[in-house]
Amino acid sequence: MTASWEELVSTALVGADRRAVPPESLLEQAAEQVVRMRAGRRPGRSRPPAPAAAETLPPVPGAAADRLARMLAGEQSRLLTEWLETAAARRVRVPAGMLPGLLDLGARDRSIRACLGTVTGTRGRWLAGLNPAWSYLLDEPAHLPPDEVWELGTSGDRRAWLAATRARDPAAARELLEGGWSAETPEDRAAFVALLADRLSMDDEPFLEAALDDRRREVRQAAADLLTRLPGSRLALRMTGRAARLVRRDGRGLRAEPPKACDSTMERDGVRARPPAGTAQRGWWLQQVVAHTPLSFWAAHLGSPAGDVVRLPLGDWAREVRMGWIRAAILQRDPAWARALFAVEPLTDLLAVLPPEEQSNRAADLVRRQPVDGQMIMMLGGVARPWGPRLTDAVLKKIAETVEAQPWNAGELIRLAGERLDPSAYARAEGVPELTATLRFRFEMIKELS
Amino acid sequence: MRRNPPHRSVPRRLRGQLSEAVASLRRVMERRSREPLSADAPDSMTSAGGGAHAAARRTHAEQRERRVAAGLSELERWLADQVGQGIAQARQTGPADWDDLARRLVDAQAPGVAGTVTRLSRVLTAEEWPGLLLGEYALLHLLAVAHRRAAALPEPLRRTVRARVGFPVTRESVLATPAVRDHWDVVGRRDEEQDRLVARRAWLAGRTTGRLAMVLSFSPAGQPIEPFPPPGTTIDADLAFYPGASPLRALVAERRGLVDAGPPPGTKVSQVPALIAEVLAADPWTDSWPLVLDGAVPCPDCIADDEGNALPLHPSAGVPWRLLAVSGGRPVTVAAEWTPRGLRPLATWDEEGRVAPL
Repeated sequence: MTASWEELVSTALVGADRRAVPPESLLEQAAEQVVRMRAGRRPGRSRPPAPAAAETLPPVPGAAADRLARMLAGEQSRLLTEWLETAAARRVRVPAGMLPGLLDLGARDRSIRACLGTVTGTRGRWLAGLNPAWSYLLDEPAHLPPDEVWELGTSGDRRAWLAATRARDPAAARELLEGGWSAETPEDRAAFVALLADRLSMDDEPFLEAALDDRRREVRQAAADLLTRLPGSRLALRMTGRAARLVRRDGRGLRAEPPKACDSTMERDGVRARPPAGTAQRGWWLQQVVAHTPLSFWAAHLGSPAGDVVRLPLGDWAREVRMGWIRAAILQRDPAWARALFAVEPLTDLLAVLPPEEQSNRAADLVRRQPVDGQMIMMLGGVARPWGPRLTDAVLKKIAETVEAQPWNAGELIRLAGERLDPSAYARAEGVPELTATLRFRFEMIKELS
Repeated sequence: MRRNPPHRSVPRRLRGQLSEAVASLRRVMERRSREPLSADAPDSMTSAGGGAHAAARRTHAEQRERRVAAGLSELERWLADQVGQGIAQARQTGPADWDDLARRLVDAQAPGVAGTVTRLSRVLTAEEWPGLLLGEYALLHLLAVAHRRAAALPEPLRRTVRARVGFPVTRESVLATPAVRDHWDVVGRRDEEQDRLVARRAWLAGRTTGRLAMVLSFSPAGQPIEPFPPPGTTIDADLAFYPGASPLRALVAERRGLVDAGPPPGTKVSQVPALIAEVLAADPWTDSWPLVLDGAVPCPDCIADDEGNALPLHPSAGVPWRLLAVSGGRPVTVAAEWTPRGLRPLATWDEEGRVAPL
């Protein structure tokens, strides 16, 4: 008796006894068939994926690739972002075998995606087309030929193209947008509006004012944020009108009176009606009106320069007005106000508005004056790499003092300094082995990539 | 009447190997005698030396033979019971039964079979588990019968059966056989932890002889593993093979040094079935065999060639992203472990000949 494999399996499932088949005979037939199947298995048919396009960037040097492999395996993995930024700036690509690991990292960490767009090359994009978890990469710039970018490029390509056009010819960039505005996706519209921040002028005002009526809130918000930087814009005039009523000079100080309602014209100008949980509604409206009022308005209205205004006593609502000014200084990238506000509230976001050298110097003053605490670490976290000479000196001195007096308190500062100091300072960090090791690692890492 | 003969699509050139495979099975099973085992069954471990020491060793060996024979005949009965009553409940009752059976087989000094039984639960995760389980039961039955009929088997197959049952083979006896010198490409390496031991497998392919080998070493978990050259290296070495009908496991008898040789030569995807048929013809229990494939195009679930022939990947291997990344959809050299359920990639070499272990 010979049976098909399916018959044998079915007999084994219900029991050979029930089908009056001797069990040994069933096992023997099954053994013969299983070996026949294993040995006789013919190749199936398959259509492999279309091959990846040729690479356009040169590969990273071997030593740099080896270091990247060690970093992906866990060594100094906090420095991975700097490796990727440096490699992307040098326009080199990583070996193909490391792409899956890097693309997995990018799936979890948005901050490295722009760098990955460059260093993963065409192979990275080919893989992203095969794995939905990596499809984010297709939104990053892909370096298409210039005449195809705006029509055919990925979102990333088109953003990069618009930014470059804007830097060259601001009006041409705006006209490019106006051409197909209604066909763009809401995400692209919001990103495109934000790109007009570069070389912003009153010529952009009509386009941005129209964007206040966009269907998507993110687009309206981005347009409102830009219009507050144009003191002559219609939005700025409407906002100053509101601010003039809400915040006034009152003897030696100031007096604030929050709005009683948030009407539809306020909402159109970017004031969000619903406060975040735990925030009082009227105070929230006040804060937003202040945040969207051109800062140049206040000196004339209150009769004092920024440095004095931020120190004037304010009764109720002091917190909301101060928060509004801070938001405004950041949104309008106003160094004078940022400087004045940083003096009363050393926030890292305010520091970021200042020119790099001044950032470094102001941070250095603070480091010299204060003991190491969470606020200092937060503030320093916002100071871009590499730190200038004064900040380097101040931080190295602070680390030496802290290691001496409160070693338990030095860990965070040492780690941050390792990531941000100019790596050639490694020889000056001798007393702190962890710092020396990190700086040396970065020193060699950068050398390999150049 | 065969409704659906599984080898229906076997091409003509494969039939030779297949009939050999089937013939070797028949050799194991023919004259299916059920004569009881006499207690003084002839022992294969003949001892030339005399004296009390040798006698003691002989008694010890005879005792082991008896224990193994008893254990395997119990296994035969157990298997017959299982398929007699039906295996439909195996998903619920299997794991506990198998643990129990494996313990008894260890007591019967048949650790090889015990290990196979322990690994049975792996099939339960697959959708087609009834077929997979029947296949495993059938091959266990075949092994037990083959051991019972060992005297009738050709010597190499008899050695294979004894090795699979779990009779120890000493290092010295392996090293005493003639070694095979070649430039051996290390094509794959894998560490697996089991029972607080790390088993390291390294697969090798000989440049001149075309032979394949697997070097196995153990070290306690948590301790440094005995170093072995990584995939992509080529060593000039003498390998001594464990005996068997389809020898693969080997010891490095002498390592003479590293050779700078580039990517290993490989076989075509279309040649693999014939190659595997040959291996199974010699040793039907083979469940792992290294392959080096040339001009192989990795896909998300298979390894193909440019004519569209494709070998499936093992379902538990997942999408081989690293392999795909290195290939970029173009033909590369791929080393892989063949298993009955599909390939497990081991290493690949890119266009520039650089290795990427997988």
